[in-house]
Amino acid sequence: MTITRRNVLLGATAAAALGPIAARAQTSEVKIGVIYPFSGASAQIGVDAQRAFETAAEIINGKYDYDLPLARTEGLPGLGGAKIKLVFADHQADPQKGRAEAERLITQEKVSAIIGSYQSAVAVTASQTCERYQIPYLSADNSSPSLHRRGLKYYFRAAPHDEMFSGAMFDFFDMMKKKGTKIETLALFHEDTIFGTDSGNAQLKLANERGYKIVADIKYRANSPSLSAEVQQLKAANADVLMPSSYTTDGILLVKTMAELGYKPNAIVAQDAGFSEKALYDAVGDKLEGVISRGSFSLDLAAKRPMVGKINDMFKAKSGKDLNDFSSRQFMGLIVMADAINRAKSADGEKIRDALAATEMPGEQTIMPWKRVKFDESGQNNDADPVLLQYVGGKFVTIFPAQAAVAEAIWPMK
Amino acid sequence: MTAETIIQSLASGLLMGLLYGLIAVGLALIFGLMDVVNFAHGEFLMIAMYATFFLFAFFALDPLLAAPLVAAALFVFGAVVYLLVVRFAVRAKANTGMVQIFSTFGLAVLMRGVAQYFFTPDYRSIPHSWLGGKTISIGGIYLPQPQLIGALIAIAAFAGLYFFIHRTDFGRALEATREDAGAVALVGIDKNKVFALGWGLGAALVGLAGAVMSIFFYVFPDVGASFATIAYVTVALGGFGSVFGAFAGGIIVGLVEATTTLILPPSLKTVGIYGVYLLVVFIRPRGLFGSI
Repeated sequence: MTITRRNVLLGATAAAALGPIAARAQTSEVKIGVIYPFSGASAQIGVDAQRAFETAAEIINGKYDYDLPLARTEGLPGLGGAKIKLVFADHQADPQKGRAEAERLITQEKVSAIIGSYQSAVAVTASQTCERYQIPYLSADNSSPSLHRRGLKYYFRAAPHDEMFSGAMFDFFDMMKKKGTKIETLALFHEDTIFGTDSGNAQLKLANERGYKIVADIKYRANSPSLSAEVQQLKAANADVLMPSSYTTDGILLVKTMAELGYKPNAIVAQDAGFSEKALYDAVGDKLEGVISRGSFSLDLAAKRPMVGKINDMFKAKSGKDLNDFSSRQFMGLIVMADAINRAKSADGEKIRDALAATEMPGEQTIMPWKRVKFDESGQNNDADPVLLQYVGGKFVTIFPAQAAVAEAIWPMK
Repeated sequence: MTAETIIQSLASGLLMGLLYGLIAVGLALIFGLMDVVNFAHGEFLMIAMYATFFLFAFFALDPLLAAPLVAAALFVFGAVVYLLVVRFAVRAKANTGMVQIFSTFGLAVLMRGVAQYFFTPDYRSIPHSWLGGKTISIGGIYLPQPQLIGALIAIAAFAGLYFFIHRTDFGRALEATREDAGAVALVGIDKNKVFALGWGLGAALVGLAGAVMSIFFYVFPDVGASFATIAYVTVALGGFGSVFGAFAGGIIVGLVEATTTLILPPSLKTVGIYGVYLLVVFIRPRGLFGSI
């Protein structure tokens, strides 16, 4: 960036207002830490996430005619056109590495905020580290409900959590029942880290509240070499709906093992994760015609908001994939954070935190089916409406809720 | 719990156990031959699975047809790893054990990194194959064909290996070298050739397992990790250095894993394996069939 008189003036004003000289030195560039798994079993998620964050940074730093915060201006006008710089860190799906990397990003890379992290288990440790250094942590795609209930001041989540997702599933069941579909028994199948455990607990609670019978509640070990015993129990329970909460590897093995052991449920309603990943459908998509997964994003939305399609094209040029449930939330994570930094007019953690708390972003200015982005006391956005998507003819169509649906649900699945 | 559930568990456990045995036997062979633990064993499995996947993706070669090719390729790979890496590691003057551990462990990390760089961390799987997704059902008991063929291949491979070790000159050289590497040099047997052959054989066996597994499992750079851990337990349980022990250990691990879930929640299924393992090493530290 060339230094103009305006920038110097702005810098001087900022320095006068804020006192510390460090704040001025950072105004040409604001560093944001991005913590994802770039190696290990979930490395593909990290690689795709990097493309999503880079796409968002390109839109923020450049000039684009989209109805998205900061798209039409170059850089952050609130900080004299300062650019966003992303610093990527690899947590390898290990909570301890996540904590160490967060600490390194804050103390050595001097980031102003951190976004993460795919695995909720890592979000726990990384966000605690952020809290200690008074640096905001934003969960782009962590969905465990317990995350925002820890009384942290610097924790934020613009996207829905698993209780909201599971709530949408049960709303959908209620609606289908009214239409005369038989849904009485459910089988839960969830992996044993915080994601699967929280998801299973939320579903168990909702099922009890709304009068559905859980006939199998199987907590299994993630990345198992074999799932035949688990599938056998699911088969024996033979519920009306199978509800898996699994990452990609387990999802592939689950579906393959189900086919091998001759288990075909009437319906599968999945807590996304692996079930929104292209790799899973490449591997076993032929066995999943009609599978339903919750999501926070659907490409259908492009029909109503053309910018969604254009941003998807930008992302696809980088990654070779369409935006999905994860990449869309990661993309929005950076937009929400940059918007707050811009309004904070500062790279200081505490000021950004206050700006985040004051966020008020209308749904039309996002690429999501959300009502708006507005955080409550605990840092959770309760207006992030989830959607249910059904896999039909090789792609996902939105089937729920009514205002976002483009098709009727096919039930039972093929 | 019905009789059907129990029989199904035992059947699934046996099929999986034979495969565990096939994966572990190469490890046992190399250990028995030269007291070297190959920490890159899981990564050997990984490249075998990738090789099978790419033969399918580019030449539409069914994994069953690819299996002998992959095994042959892994044979060469194993021998080369011995000649280029392990040969020098075991020659170290000081801390031989450590150098050996770090050389194969380093090799594992390197192989994983290279795989991630060239093949990307994406999960791959073979969507169509002759056996993929096919199942035989006998009286309500389901036997997936890929695992069934895998188990038969494992039994054939064990028999072949047994015959090779006990009935051929090379096998006898292998046994002799294992007994006393110094003495065989006196009778004109090239120790390096025998060790290279052992590494080649060990790698070929895990190559065979990888080819079969890619029919029903997914492939990604870290896939070896979860199987390698089981392979180490299998070898220790069956007995260090015993090829037959690896075979028996695999079956035990498979059966214990499958039956544990009849009693405990599935998230605790490895508890059974490690419980039995601890019990065995407590009573018999050398493992069930160990001679060392």
